[in-house]
Amino acid sequence: MTALTASTPRLRLARFRDLTLVPVIVLLLIAGAFLDPTFLTAGNLTNVLQQQAAISLLVLAEALILISGKFDLSLESIVGMAPAIAVMLVVPVSAGGFGIELPGLLVIPLCLLVGALIGAFNGFLIIKFQLSAFIVTLAMLIIVHGLQLGPTEGKTLFELPESILYLGSALWLGLPASIWIAGLLFAAGIAGLAYFRVGRSLYAIGGNSDAARAAGIRVDRVLWGVFILGGTLAALAGVLETGRLGAIGSNQGVGWIFMVFAAAVIGGVSMDGGKGTVLGALTGVLVIGLVQNLLTLKGVSGFWQPVVYGGIILIALMISRVAGGKAQD
Amino acid sequence: MKLGPVAACAALLAVVTACGSSATPSAGGGGGKVGIDHPRADSDFWNSYMKYVPQLAGELKVDLMPATNSQNDVGKLVSNVQALTGQGAKAIVMAPQDTGAIATTLQTLENKKIPVVTVDTRPDKGKVFMVVRADNRAYGTKACEFLGEKLGGKGKVVQLMGALSSINGRDRAEAFGECMKAKFPGITVFDEPTEWEGSKAASMLQTRLEQHPDVKGVYMHAGGVHLAPTLQVLKQKNLLLPPDDPKHVFVISNDGIPQEFEAIRKGEIDATVSQPADLYARYALFYAKAAIDGKTFQAGPTDHDSTIIQIPNGLEDQLPAPLVTKENVDDPNLWGNQVK
Repeated sequence: MTALTASTPRLRLARFRDLTLVPVIVLLLIAGAFLDPTFLTAGNLTNVLQQQAAISLLVLAEALILISGKFDLSLESIVGMAPAIAVMLVVPVSAGGFGIELPGLLVIPLCLLVGALIGAFNGFLIIKFQLSAFIVTLAMLIIVHGLQLGPTEGKTLFELPESILYLGSALWLGLPASIWIAGLLFAAGIAGLAYFRVGRSLYAIGGNSDAARAAGIRVDRVLWGVFILGGTLAALAGVLETGRLGAIGSNQGVGWIFMVFAAAVIGGVSMDGGKGTVLGALTGVLVIGLVQNLLTLKGVSGFWQPVVYGGIILIALMISRVAGGKAQD
Repeated sequence: MKLGPVAACAALLAVVTACGSSATPSAGGGGGKVGIDHPRADSDFWNSYMKYVPQLAGELKVDLMPATNSQNDVGKLVSNVQALTGQGAKAIVMAPQDTGAIATTLQTLENKKIPVVTVDTRPDKGKVFMVVRADNRAYGTKACEFLGEKLGGKGKVVQLMGALSSINGRDRAEAFGECMKAKFPGITVFDEPTEWEGSKAASMLQTRLEQHPDVKGVYMHAGGVHLAPTLQVLKQKNLLLPPDDPKHVFVISNDGIPQEFEAIRKGEIDATVSQPADLYARYALFYAKAAIDGKTFQAGPTDHDSTIIQIPNGLEDQLPAPLVTKENVDDPNLWGNQVK
């Protein structure tokens, strides 16, 4: 009985921990409304959501991987490489393709497949081969980006099949499709981690993988699945980003991983595994998107933007630390 | 610790000279090998440049060593240059994207009496034989004059800037801003620091159009990264209209890649400043060969429509960068019309 009564308040505290950034978001919305009249309009907020849709999928993927106690840096390279390879399999040589010219409708499935394969390879090296996740995915970050630069010879792919542009640029019920997609996937992530057995097992593995194994969880299989899912989500992020930009530049996705980690950590996801929620990670992405938007609206000088931007991330981190009460790791 | 690399270099040098001993005397008409380092492999402009180099080396009879690539990293550039000189380069062609950090390398090369031609950027310090570069300030000024005239001296324009840590981004941004202030004070300029990133450019332009739906002009610092995102945002806002439509947004770009020409033909953008990738390659090799042959140059106009100016650490040949509009977009002499 004592154990039960003791666990109830701790559970509640854990719930609040996910939402520590909500006051930050409210503060940003209020401050933003005073700073610029455009900020709090439906149009502008929709834009912010659309601009963050692709990176939010990366944050979702990274949150799942971090919660299960692993690490994946290579996600950012998949964002550019997977769509680039998929497009090159489809478009003719004159548009920079391989000359295989598969049907245009296959481009999104191919892209997701490439992402999944990279995730599976990461998983193989980390789980079966027992290599350090940090260094494996660091190497993969470089290799995967190289696998985009090599075949494209660094060129931007301008002529894309319509099907890959659709998701990133279409409107569904008045909102950009990418917002719906990101929203649905986050909802699935939140529900999956809270109520489903596989989802709960990520926390168990991230907290203590030996204990999880002893408790009958198929640790390797679940972890491998998480890496494959992560790669696939990163490839989908690449599809959304490609649709938004209308071309695949050779540095698409490069440098995102820092923002992804910043969003996940200020959202309460622990770098040591076992702690954090998908909802928290979502609030982290929103904070970063709103800050970026506000800096653009106010026309903060390009020389000083990084300072202001980094400073606001630090402040958000401190607020989430104070509000969350626990030491961050 | 210092001896390791030296010994390795010496060993390498011995091997190289041993292997090449029969070939060296007969190689090339210039009497010396030219080492070349390319700055990056991920931009459309530089990829075109890299394609021109071996082609023009054949034409100009330059004995070119296999090119190295420093991938936008000045540290790699320094080691590549060491390797090239170790392999017997008598002149070096490079394009340091960090114009400050290359100073010591230039100093070392000067001590070894190896002339250096830099392409696209002007090093802040250190002797150079020649800087081959278009006048990037002129890009900004041309863009300002074009947009100013099209807008009749009033309205709002967005400037999608390159990285302000690069001299080319800074030159374009400063010249554009100064010209707007001096010649078209009625125009409001919004500066967007996109860091040469398409993703940032799309977000910033979208946000600015939400805030100021009456923006009438866009200046893109680099067509390679800014073109597709800009068109995509304008399309989404239903602003991709023909030039005679009163709601048309005037767009001027820099670079001169084939996709920009295509967009000009379609009426989606209005103009671009063609940065001459072919001339960069041609004159970089020309001056490298001339340096080996012991020729010297003075400030003043040249035979190829450019002007050599004196800079504190050497000379700079400022190549012409033509403005391309609907009228001259099909000119076969533009490099963007020659690549495939």
